[in-house]
Amino acid sequence: MATLWYLVRRVAQAVLVIFLVTIVVFALLHALPGGPARGILGAQATAQQIATFNHEQGLDKPVVAQYFYYLRTLLHGDLGTSYTLNEPVSTLIVQRLPKTLVLTVLSAILGLLLAIPLGMWQAVRRNKPFDYAITTLSFVAYATPVYFFGLILVLVFSQALRWFPSQAPQGDTLGQVLANPAGLVLPVVAGAASMVAVFSRYMRSATLENLAEDYVRTAKAGGARQRAILWRHVFRNSLTPVIAMLGYYVPVLFGGALVVEQLFNYPGMGLLFWSAAQSSDYPVLLGCVLVISVATVIGTLLADIVQRVIDPRVVAGKS
Amino acid sequence: MTKTILDVEELGVTFRTETGEVPAVRGVSLTVAPGETLALVGESGSGKSTVALAAMGLLSGNARITGRVAIDGTDIVGSTTGKSGAAGKAGAAGSSGAAGKAGAVELSRLRGRTASMVFQEPATALDPLTRVGAQIVEVIRNHRPVSKAAARQEAVELLRRVGIPDPARRAAAYPFQLSGGQRQRVVIAMAIANDPSLLIADEPTTALDVTVQAEILDLLRELAADAGTGVLLVTHNMGVVADFADRVAVMLSGEIVETGPVEQVLLRPRHEYTQRLLAAVPRLAVAEPGESAAQASTTVSARPSAGVTPAAEGSAGEPVVRLRDVSVVFGRGGRAVRALDQVSIEVRAGETVGLVGESGSGKSTAARVALGLIAPSAGAVSLFGADLRRTRGRSRRRLRAGIGVVLQDPVASLDARMSVAECVAEPLRVHRSMSARQRRSRVEEVLDRVRLPRALADRAPRELSGGQRQRVSLARALVLDPRLLVADEPTSALDVSVQQAVLEVIAELQADLGFACLFVSHDLAVVQRFAARVVVLRAGRIEEQGRTDATLLHPETDYTRRLLAAVPVPDPAVQRRRRAARQAVAGAGA
Repeated sequence: MATLWYLVRRVAQAVLVIFLVTIVVFALLHALPGGPARGILGAQATAQQIATFNHEQGLDKPVVAQYFYYLRTLLHGDLGTSYTLNEPVSTLIVQRLPKTLVLTVLSAILGLLLAIPLGMWQAVRRNKPFDYAITTLSFVAYATPVYFFGLILVLVFSQALRWFPSQAPQGDTLGQVLANPAGLVLPVVAGAASMVAVFSRYMRSATLENLAEDYVRTAKAGGARQRAILWRHVFRNSLTPVIAMLGYYVPVLFGGALVVEQLFNYPGMGLLFWSAAQSSDYPVLLGCVLVISVATVIGTLLADIVQRVIDPRVVAGKS
Repeated sequence: MTKTILDVEELGVTFRTETGEVPAVRGVSLTVAPGETLALVGESGSGKSTVALAAMGLLSGNARITGRVAIDGTDIVGSTTGKSGAAGKAGAAGSSGAAGKAGAVELSRLRGRTASMVFQEPATALDPLTRVGAQIVEVIRNHRPVSKAAARQEAVELLRRVGIPDPARRAAAYPFQLSGGQRQRVVIAMAIANDPSLLIADEPTTALDVTVQAEILDLLRELAADAGTGVLLVTHNMGVVADFADRVAVMLSGEIVETGPVEQVLLRPRHEYTQRLLAAVPRLAVAEPGESAAQASTTVSARPSAGVTPAAEGSAGEPVVRLRDVSVVFGRGGRAVRALDQVSIEVRAGETVGLVGESGSGKSTAARVALGLIAPSAGAVSLFGADLRRTRGRSRRRLRAGIGVVLQDPVASLDARMSVAECVAEPLRVHRSMSARQRRSRVEEVLDRVRLPRALADRAPRELSGGQRQRVSLARALVLDPRLLVADEPTSALDVSVQQAVLEVIAELQADLGFACLFVSHDLAVVQRFAARVVVLRAGRIEEQGRTDATLLHPETDYTRRLLAAVPVPDPAVQRRRRAARQAVAGAGA
């Protein structure tokens, strides 16, 4: 019962946040130099043309009325029309979002699968050569731009070794993309690299903190072996802060996808965003911002729910 | 003694730290026989916990260990080197990685089976994410090949044995859902799950209320007696020693300075340090069972009256602080907690009022209300005759300047990035306009008053000992010449010898300066010594109040009587009688 009530409350909060995001996005749309008309019609447009455009689009109405109009079209799934591609923004995003999700989710899973054991192992072997080596590597990985790292991957695994193609699988549907898994390897690895670096650090410090906790000593005094202590007790306790971070990491993942998709010519939202940015295609840009915002809100919501499942203290409101 | 369960010979422990090697334990030898309890006592830093952890092989990786520790004939320390002498021991210490690995499996087989341990802090000793039943099951299955279901059955049985009500249901609880006392019972259940021959208890009741402490000690005594378990009890509390131990070993700076039967060490200590330590222990003056009221009060007045300020008695005039029918409610709706319920307290100039009660009784909340930090949900607070609700802004600040406060934790209550002089001078900066030189001379004056050398003024708080830090807090509290001092457990984190010095300083200053003092403490003996009047709180309500010598000797309510009966006194003979009387009352009540 408490959990249901909590869910209702959290979802309501999420909706409120998304609502606030729409206000920000709307404000951004109006903060464009010369307004949307100038952005769309270009610098050569005459005052007459702009006035006509503004009237057609309802842009001569009061701002509040415009906002509610914007909100209403939004609720109908209408994000406007791309200037350059001449297609509804919603159609463009619906086509590409699943592909980007596949890329980011795979990167996140790969990243976590590597980062969590690495971080734990580092904590156990603290201040030993293994710890130092991984720390150095993760600092390097963290400092390396995704773009550069992706290029190295292409040079090594595509050009030199010829293991994987340098180009991501093309195609309009998700099925077409997934039909060519080899092409996904390099983009996924490129996206996972910084994730491994960041989350192995989190996991390392969380594990270190937990290894110093009294309950570890209690478990040891009860005759538990090191491995049992790690997996039965320390692992779960260390995971909670990592999961909390994961929710906030969603926009970073999308940001990474932007670069990765451009680099590997992967037909996802990042690439859409990238080309829209280059051609000042504002409806597309703002649509993407909205989608990423919603994804972030959902990400934190999911992280909170997972944490509730793992840590019973969250339910009781103590920690 | 023919057989020993724990055998420690010439144990030495040194910790490698960034600032070099720190010796913690030197040449410690002791034995524990089956069915016997040896108490290891000493002040903080004496190395007593280090000995206990070394005996379980639980010291951290930066510890260098020499000597020999054997549990039931199995060597815990120096097991791989055997009898090859000093050279071999040094070699083993140098290559502790390899030696430790060889012993790791052996050690974990011993831990929780032959020897087990109960820790000080029940709040953190259990895995917060694992149900308590499962944690007991784990200890059982670490050592015995029983099925999960059978182990679960046993865990419930163990919970019943350690006195957890409704154990089948409680086994599914998470640690945070249990009280401190219940958590400690779970830790004990884990410790006795495999019928160990040796139980090491490191300050097992220090974090608990006295009434819970008495129950836990009864439980441990019973379990040890039933199974003939040897107990190594580490504690700083001489009352607990008197209540529980057969023999005592006194530690000072890493060495044992005196060992002997409990009667001898507590009543006729031979070593000068033991004598000093025992003299510093605040003793609860008690009415012996059957003793009349008249006799008891002569016992009290016969005590040397260090720290008592009789001048305060009967002082008339306006109270300095007055709480009238104060209620405090935290939270709203169904989750609301009534922390204080119609509490009325007055403190007059020159008077010390002790506020006692168990944890959660609302004593700290009452102190915070007096400080104006918590606004009462109902009732009124007047400070120096002014109603706190009606004062705002500047006049409120002026009122605040008249209050000094000393809190429990001397580490956390001073800003680590300020020097001692800055800490003490801060209230002057806020409330007085003074030149830097004037401030400095005022700070030095106050440091003199709390008997801290002026040379410490420019040190950082972390460079000071706990007692010194608490005196810095006191200097800071007194720098504005307050009319009211609120002291919330000011000596609870300190060793007894240090506690005595700090209390003496407060009493002396109070006699000189005449401030009123609201003294919050869970330690009835300290309050008895220090406060002229006492207020006993229970679950947010005043249970009773009155003059300390009357109320704490001949309490009017059962609750206060129970509270007093649960305090162990550091005299084994008296304590035995008290325990028998307490258990008789409890038995009659049950």
